[in-house]
Amino acid sequence: MIFYCLLASYCFRTNDLSRWVVGNAFLMCTNTCVFGLGGVFTGERYNGRLRSIVAAPCAKLPLVLASGVFPALLASVTVAAGLALGGLLFGVDFSGVDIGRAALSILCAMVSASCFGLFISVFGLLTDSIHMVLNVTSYLLLIFTGAEFPVSQLPAAGQLLSRALPLTRSIEAMNLLFSGGGARFPALLLGELALAAVYVLLALAVFRSVERACRRSGKLDLF
Amino acid sequence: MSGSVLLSTMVLQMRQSFSRNMFRFCLIANPILNTVLLYEMFRNSGQENFAAYVVLGSGLMAVWGCICFSSAGDINRERFSGTLALVFAAPAGFPYIILGKILGNTLLSLLSLLISLLTAALFFRAPVQLASPGYFALAMLALVLSFVVISSVIACQLTLSRRTTLYMNCIEIPLILLCGLSFPIEVLPRWLHPVSRCLPPTWAVELLRSAVAGVTQPGPFFQRLLILLLITAVWVLMALWLFRVIDRQVRISASLEVC
Repeated sequence: MIFYCLLASYCFRTNDLSRWVVGNAFLMCTNTCVFGLGGVFTGERYNGRLRSIVAAPCAKLPLVLASGVFPALLASVTVAAGLALGGLLFGVDFSGVDIGRAALSILCAMVSASCFGLFISVFGLLTDSIHMVLNVTSYLLLIFTGAEFPVSQLPAAGQLLSRALPLTRSIEAMNLLFSGGGARFPALLLGELALAAVYVLLALAVFRSVERACRRSGKLDLF
Repeated sequence: MSGSVLLSTMVLQMRQSFSRNMFRFCLIANPILNTVLLYEMFRNSGQENFAAYVVLGSGLMAVWGCICFSSAGDINRERFSGTLALVFAAPAGFPYIILGKILGNTLLSLLSLLISLLTAALFFRAPVQLASPGYFALAMLALVLSFVVISSVIACQLTLSRRTTLYMNCIEIPLILLCGLSFPIEVLPRWLHPVSRCLPPTWAVELLRSAVAGVTQPGPFFQRLLILLLITAVWVLMALWLFRVIDRQVRISASLEVC
């Protein structure tokens, strides 16, 4: 956060770093939600439990969702701590911010980021280069969520991608709390939660198709 | 003997590094993504020739990423493969082998600068002007030297720990910040300036930037180069001293693979 806030102060020639403190505090969830959750299935394979998970006659949706609950809570605490520390370091004024709404936006963002992490984790069943996928993903969040520069700077395709990524709407909602204009706040958070639901369904769909393919080819534990 | 060890280790290291997915990410994807990010951040900065700043900044960040995650991580890879003790005790000399690895990684990682330049040119049609190519080549040599020296010191220290991955992640961003790889160190708090000035890459980056902007007076350029060489000499002495201490320590305690 310190690096990107200092970079922003140099690039944008400003001392008001509130939007970068917000953006980078939200991105602090990357460690838990992308790198932590993204490696869930790779970890299961490494520990030899993947076959049991696939063969078990239980529903896979609760199993996938259960992995995301504690990371989402932990990431919420990390983001709140990041906001507090960043605020102290860079002199961000929180006096006009509705704390309840801020907490709500953090929680929605972390739910969305966790669901996204679970979706990415399914790719660990398809590739042995999941770390590369996770690193690229973390950069995509850095570039396209509006944490480092306004999304409006991006070309049309980039703006479309930013809408399909988690955190974009929550960061915008949190920034609205700082600027005082909160009319779009509920719509943004609902959009973030809807995106989370889409990622869970996508994760489940990909998991099922990969599961079927693995059962047919018997390659589940090959890498 | 030592020359051939250096050369063969360099070539082998380049091949091994390039075969790893994460190194390819650091070498190819990292500079592309960094260039996009920095370009979008710098484009409204009002700075003249900002594209050069973006290309240099993103390229150097990627170069350091490659060096950090490879040169530092190689010790751990050798330890994980069970070959660290063999490499350490080889008659060819551990310092030569490590130096060869670091040189190989550093030279290969310079490709990142080219990839950053190509990204800026292809994606953004950004015109990058290099005012003093001769001075730039000299500054580039200084940069390689400074990165090699600082990596040697770090590699020496990492022979003492098994938490290499943690340390690699911990040193990447602080060095980018302290050496001013993507913005001048004047942006940092004043109390951090002496720390930055003690790091050789800080001076090398300033030389690169002045060469890109154009060297009108050679005096200040060579003055900075001299300071860089002096600081580098201190770091070389520190690396040699560290190696001797660590070499003695791990031989006495037989803790190379277990510490």
